[in-house]
Amino acid sequence: MMMMNGEATEAELFLNCADMSVLERQRAQLNYHHLPGFFSNSSTINGGEIDDGFLASAGLDLPEIYGEVHGDARISVSPGNITNESGNSKKRKFGCVDTETKVFNEKKKMMMMDREVEVEEEEEKSKITEQSTKSIMKMKNKAKKEQNSCSNDSSKVTKDSQRTDYIHVRARRGQATDSHSIAERARREKISERMKFLQDLVPGCEKITGKAGMLDEIINYVQSLQRQVEFLSMKLATVSPRLDFNIDDIFAKEVVSAPMMNLPNSVMPPHMMVNSGYPHDMVNSGYVHFNPMQQVVTSSDPLACFNNGQSATMWDSDVQNLYSSLGV
Amino acid sequence: MQPTSSMKEEFLKKWQMGLQIYRPLIDNTSVSERRKAIKLSADVAMASLRKGTTCWSRALIQKTATEDNFLVRQMLSGIKAETLINKKLPKVMCHRKIVRRSKMILRRRQSRSAIEEVAAKARKLIKKKTQGLRNVVPGGEFMSNDVLLIQETLDYIVSLQTQVNVMRSIVDAAEAGSER
Repeated sequence: MMMMNGEATEAELFLNCADMSVLERQRAQLNYHHLPGFFSNSSTINGGEIDDGFLASAGLDLPEIYGEVHGDARISVSPGNITNESGNSKKRKFGCVDTETKVFNEKKKMMMMDREVEVEEEEEKSKITEQSTKSIMKMKNKAKKEQNSCSNDSSKVTKDSQRTDYIHVRARRGQATDSHSIAERARREKISERMKFLQDLVPGCEKITGKAGMLDEIINYVQSLQRQVEFLSMKLATVSPRLDFNIDDIFAKEVVSAPMMNLPNSVMPPHMMVNSGYPHDMVNSGYVHFNPMQQVVTSSDPLACFNNGQSATMWDSDVQNLYSSLGV
Repeated sequence: MQPTSSMKEEFLKKWQMGLQIYRPLIDNTSVSERRKAIKLSADVAMASLRKGTTCWSRALIQKTATEDNFLVRQMLSGIKAETLINKKLPKVMCHRKIVRRSKMILRRRQSRSAIEEVAAKARKLIKKKTQGLRNVVPGGEFMSNDVLLIQETLDYIVSLQTQVNVMRSIVDAAEAGSER
């Protein structure tokens, strides 16, 4: 019970940070229900049932952690935990769909993660044989102990376990099985998952693989966006001395619908463009769909950040075309 | 996730609302004051889209409240304004120098292998970068863990993109209008 409490707090820490990653157990060597780490509270649902449903056929196989979960489990959990605004929940759903397809690429994903993890994995690989046997032994021993102590808890996190308070973790072969390192791994995985989203969002980051490089790009991008805001507000202040942008006028202007491809050198006439990729929710008949790719040309400000802005919007249109094709 | 047109609409509406507040005062103001008005109302509009759910939006609102309390109160509906403005930001920054010094002392006692040193350097670098990111994102210093930080960054980037897109289109339209 003491063990449970200690692990409960760690699990709660996890829940309080955003998503839960429920782990898929590929399968086990023997019939253990319980593993070091976290216990799920879905015990009542599954009773003492052996998790055969999830186990592939017998044989020694590499138990694998951190498979991604079912979309439902995640979606059902997150609104319960956190009250999301539309922005956030959209993000999460997107994440669910995305990660579901990555279930079986888990290992590869882990391999492609940051340098930090690679270094650590190398360290661990070098001790694989001893550790693997050790970990197996540990798991077996713990399993027996836990079997005795908590017979009612099931370690299964299934589709039915919509309201798990604990995350059940199974350590990978050859890696430490204490709860701290498992917690750290879960946390690291979350971070890398979110970095992937950021990679999609920030233009021009597809090739950057390390955490540090990505963070650099993100910082630069955010700074450039902030600078753009400053610049645009300055421009607006100079353009309209009375701060009266006549919105109706703007809407009534003619709108050209042209698919916005990458046209870095073309001079577009300075009126609004419509991108057919945007969803058509019209507020009034004259409403214009804003387009990230605005070719601002007539201005004579030679500010550096302006150039950055322009290139950023070109990337934006690329990414945006990609997203529109996905129907986002 | 890209900025959707509904987000842009909302932002535009709120921003216009904010600018309305400035309009009666506008006659003899300088360019810089106008710029400030534009930017502040745009910031508050962007932050209010999130309705107080994200850390960065709260921090941004509090920041602009220090510059123009009146604007913020007007732009946000009454109760929310009070709570958001008066709410204390969650965590106090720790004294980094003290923490750093004590960490250095601890470190000196450890003996390290070559592999560990490399890993430690990589970790240090990443920590520096995350600190840089915290400086850029509003309210970053108050985000306790990295996961939250990156999540907030995601949301912040999307909102910034919305803001930039809307402002840019307004500028273009205003320019086009003034040309004619």
